[in-house]
Order: sequence, then structure tokens, then C-alpha cells
Amino acid sequence: MKVVTVGTGMAAAEFVQRLRLEGFGGEIVMCSDEGFAPYSPCVIPFYLAGEPLQTVYWKGADFYDRYRVTPRLSDPVVEVDTARRLVRSAAGRNASYDRLFFASGARSWYPRPEWLETTGVFGFKTLTDMVAIDRYVSENNIKKAVVFGGGFIGVDAALALWHRGLEITLVHRNTRLLSQMTDEDGGRFATAKLAAKTGIDIRLKTTVNEIVTNGGQLKAVELANGERIETALLIVSIGVSPNSEALCGNDKGVASNDQMLADPDIYTAGDVAVTRHAVTGEQGIFATYPNAMQQARIAARHLVHGDGSFGGSINTNVLKKHIDFPIVSAGRFEGEPYTWQQGDIWRRVYLQDGMINGYLIIGDTRISGFIYHLYLSRKRVDRNIGTIISEPRHDSYYRGVLGVH
Amino acid sequence: MKRIFVDYKKCLACKACESACAVEQHPCHSLMAALGDHKTQVNVRVLGIDHEAFPLSCRHCDPADCLNACPSGAISRDPESGAVLLDAALCKACAMCAMVCPFDAISFKVTHRSLYGRDVAYKCDLCNERIKEGKSPACVTACHSGALVYAEHDALRGRQAVKSLRTYLLGAEGIPAHVELFRELRRKEFARRRDGEQ
Ligand SMILES: Cc1cc2nc3c(=O)[nH]c(=O)nc-3n(C[C@H](O)[C@H](O)[C@H](O)COP(=O)(O)OP(=O)(O)OC[C@H]3O[C@@H](n4cnc5c(N)ncnc54)[C@H](O)[C@@H]3O)c2cc1C
Ligand code: SF4
Ligand code: SF4
Repeated sequence: MKVVTVGTGMAAAEFVQRLRLEGFGGEIVMCSDEGFAPYSPCVIPFYLAGEPLQTVYWKGADFYDRYRVTPRLSDPVVEVDTARRLVRSAAGRNASYDRLFFASGARSWYPRPEWLETTGVFGFKTLTDMVAIDRYVSENNIKKAVVFGGGFIGVDAALALWHRGLEITLVHRNTRLLSQMTDEDGGRFATAKLAAKTGIDIRLKTTVNEIVTNGGQLKAVELANGERIETALLIVSIGVSPNSEALCGNDKGVASNDQMLADPDIYTAGDVAVTRHAVTGEQGIFATYPNAMQQARIAARHLVHGDGSFGGSINTNVLKKHIDFPIVSAGRFEGEPYTWQQGDIWRRVYLQDGMINGYLIIGDTRISGFIYHLYLSRKRVDRNIGTIISEPRHDSYYRGVLGVH
Repeated sequence: MKRIFVDYKKCLACKACESACAVEQHPCHSLMAALGDHKTQVNVRVLGIDHEAFPLSCRHCDPADCLNACPSGAISRDPESGAVLLDAALCKACAMCAMVCPFDAISFKVTHRSLYGRDVAYKCDLCNERIKEGKSPACVTACHSGALVYAEHDALRGRQAVKSLRTYLLGAEGIPAHVELFRELRRKEFARRRDGEQ
């Protein structure tokens, strides 16, 4: 049997490694539009912050050799012919498959794609982006940057460049940073703390409307509020869209069942896959590594053994990289809120029907694992949630186990 | 495979395990060097809960939530000993592991293993090097009250231990007289303090 993967990202690497570990001996071809060994996008900002490039290859730089893979790199797949079981690349190369693993991830979404033609404007999604930014910053001795977009990746970008010593202005449309993973109060608290701890200049409720160039070189950006900021470096990270065109003809993602099958011969996983939320049952794209990993493992298991079923994705996330100030959240911020704050630490849990519907833990990771498991296991916690989040020694769990109250 | 179990009723909260761990993990392997060194790494923490106390560290779960969540390739399992290991050189301090560890066994700071001058995640490594030489983990060797036991865990307990701490806290079995006395005194002391508060 011959397996082809579209993508060499986190899901594809996990999938291929699993296949080999589970004893799959057939031919494996991995296709990517980039030219690298599998790398972890979660880690690449550290390369910009000054750490060695080598550490991005999370499963080893010799991955293709070690797992006996034929790589087909730097050549995007443009079409999957499901009837003939063929993938076709931009360079016109065909590859036939018995089983396809479609994990092409997502790409940055740009409000004005033509901006990228200007020297000094970059996305912040791939290792190709990081290498280009790194070279540009070193060669031009860049001291200032504007980051447009204050979601998870935008904040990651701002913090990595801040670590490198750049002066950063972060422009975000919403009333707070990380607006998808925080509620209004938690987000404002986290935004104020991030600003105070880093000195990053955060501009909320505005957007970058125009760029000012000179001979193809970025000079300044203009905000919606009329302000002009001189800068030779603009990072655009305001959103992503799934790379699903080659398979579906649109960018709405690839629908999958619980075996991660999109089609009888095609598995999918990761940031391109539409899956069910483990708690709410809602269909959506849950673009974090733990989901991609779990989905890839289920697909590999199903391919080799014909069994296995995906239990659903979870929208947990944490921002802590580059800064000792974690922001953890999951679920929906709806229901009855319980809040506790002491100094730098802020916690809020939303209950519905006595169970955790969503939560935010800011400033500290303690109890986050405990709350995560309470959330997933759908335990009723209405009697003691107040004590759990306000216990300064965060030992409620152990009190319960020992029967000491 | 062997794991560290805790008979919490025998724990005297003397913290000998914490010191032994600090020495074992310190590059100089000396208590004098570990004391007052802000990079000293202590992978076990004695938790005091009223009159009860017990040392808490990584359970080396199987499957391990932390291992499944780490996007940097920093967490792996030693196939021979079953220990869940964390490689500080690959850790990006992203906290994905801490976000899902049910036992709060992962902490962050600048340790002697940090390579790039920033904090990294750290946790118990089951003294993987020691146990491969046939020794016991340092904390177990240091514990003189018998509260820490390095023992083979049967498959059933192993499966339960993933999700529940109760199976890891063995409970009372032949508590020595002096420990029983100590517990009694501690209980009374806590009761006295509680009454005093009211
Ligand atoms: C800067 C940054 C920081 C992040 N931090 C975190 C974090 O801390 N925690 C977390 O959980 N998640 C984080 N993420 C998200 C995480 O990286 C993704 O969820 C994960 O990589 C998804 O895996 P994937 O395989 O679906 O996609 P990817 O890893 O993005 O891989 C997609 C692959 O498809 C290839 N590809 C794309 N189009 C084509 C095509 N047409 N033909 C062939 N190949 C193609 C790409 O080259 C790549 O190899 C971060 C992402 C970024 C960008
Ligand atoms: S106790 Fe926590 S850190 Fe240890 S293996 Fe389990 S999940 Fe990982
Ligand atoms: S903090 Fe380190 S060990 Fe934990 S998940 Fe992140 S990279 Fe892995």
C-alpha cells in the first residue's frame, strides 16, 4: 500500500511516525510547498528571538530518512483527483496513492495581499516567513516593528520580536488582545498586564488601513484612527484560512468523520480539518497542536488496524511563550461566572447546569490541569467551584482525595 | 514497571525528599551548592493540607497528557523504564503540558538545564539514570519514615493511577507506633489551632 501526505506539518509528521511505529511497511511520499524537514510552527518564533534553527525540527532534522519517506518538497499540491487517486502539483508532477493523508494546515489571511509585494511586509505563519524576517531584521538593522493582529499568533510575533530587542507597536481591532481565547474582563486584565510587563505599545480598536512605501520599501503604516507610525517592518497576522482548495475547491476546511476520513481513501487532520468539539459537539476548526496530534494518531491507527475513533477536539489554549505570564482558557465564556483575583492572578469559571462551560486562568498555571479535567469529565462542581478557584494554595483537589475539608 | 507510591499516613513532612531531590538534580550533587542557588531544581513538593501532608511529583502517567500536548518534542517516554522525561534543551516554556497535567506536577523557572537564559518546564524524571543503575529514586532513598515506596505497580493500579491520585496514595498499612503518635499530635495541634480561630 502506498500512502501520500499533503503537508509535512505537525499532523503529517505525527501521522507518518505513528504509521511506522504501528508497523506500516509500505511506501510513503510526503508533499509540501516548503523545503524543510517537518518543523513545529509553535516553536519557530524562538528562532527569531535568537534560539538555534535546529530546535524547530521537533522530530529530528533527519525525519525523512529515519522514517523511510520520499519527500516531494517546494512544490504545492494543487489538485486531488479522487476518482483516479492522484495528486497533482503546481509543477505538474503526479503522485498516485492508495491512501491520502490531507493535512495542509492553514495559511495567513491578508486583507490586502498586494502589501506583501512591499519589502518589509511579512506574514507570521511558516518557517519560510521566519527565515525571511530574520534576514531582513539583521541585514537592515531593524529597530522597530508594527504587528497588525493581536490574536494568539500576533501576540506570539510581538513577544518574539520584543525579545530580540525591537520596539513593538501592536495594532488590534478588538477591545482586548487574544479576543478569541478571553472574555471581555479577562482579556482586558491580560492586555494591561502584557503591556505593563513588556512595554509593548498596544493600540486597540483600530486597524492598519494603509502602508506608505518608497521605491517598493515600507516606510510607515497608517491606522484607521488617522495616526501614522514610521516603521520598516510590518507583520500581518490577523487571521488564517484552511488550505482546503486542492481537495474541496474552497477554503472552508475538510469535513471528516470520527475515523478522520474525508472520503473512503482520504484521511484528514490538523488545521485544515473540520471536526466535532468533544464537549459541545459543535463542528469547527480547532487549530491547536494537541488536536492535530490526536487526529493524526486516530487516522494512523485506523489505517493500520482498521479501528479507532476520535473523541472530539477541544479548544484549550495557553499563551506563555516568551513571557512568564500564562493565559490559559477553554470552552465557552457563557453561563454563571465565578471570579477570583489576587494580585497578578485572575481566574474565572463559567458554569452551566452545574458543570464547567468555560474557564480562564491568568497569571499562573496552577490548578489549570485540574480545571481542565473537571471541564472534560463534565463533573458537577457547583458546590465547590468557589473554593477551588479561590484556594490560594490550590490544593482543593488533594483535600478532596484525602477527605480533609 | 516500577513507580513511586506514597503512603501519606507515614509522611512526617520532614522534606528530606525535597533536599535529596535538590542534591540529585544539582550539577554539583552537593547540598551546600544547591542551597541558596536560585537555579536549584526541586522536582518534588511536600504539600501540607491541615494535619495531612504528602510529597507530590510527576506520576509518569500512561498515556501522559503532558506528552501528548507538547508541541516541541521536549517530552518523551523512556521505553525501558516507562519514565516520562522532559528535555529542557527543546522546551519552549509554552505551558501546553502544564495546562493539561492533572496533578500540577510541572513548574517553570530558570534551571541549570536552561540553555537560553530563560525559564523552562521541569518535573520529576523518576531519577531515570539512577533507576537504570538499579538504585532507587533519590527521594525514596532519603525517606526514613517509609512514606515513599518504589514498587512494581500492577496493571490495574497503573491504569487507575493515570487519572486518580487515590491509588497512588496507598493509605495506612502497619503504621509504626512513633509515626502514629506523631500523627496524633499533629491532628491535635491542628484541632487546637482550628478551635483557636473560631
Ligand atoms: C507562530 C505560531 C505559533 C503557534 N503556537 C502554538 C502553540 O503554542 N500551541 C498550539 O497548540 N498550537 C500553536 N500553533 C498552531 C499549530 O502550529 C497548528 O495547530 C499545527 O501546526 C497544525 O498542524 P497541521 O499539520 O494541521 O498544520 P501545519 O503544521 O501548519 O502543516 C501544514 C503543512 O502543509 C503544507 N502545505 C500547505 N499547503 C500545501 C499545498 N498546497 N501542498 C502541499 N503542502 C502544503 C505546509 O507546508 C505544511 O507542511 C501555532 C502556530 C503558529 C503559526
Ligand atoms: S503527572 Fe503530569 S507531568 Fe507527570 S506524566 Fe502525568 S501528566 Fe505528565
Ligand atoms: S512547556 Fe516545554 S515541555 Fe511543556 S509543552 Fe511546552 S515545550 Fe513541551
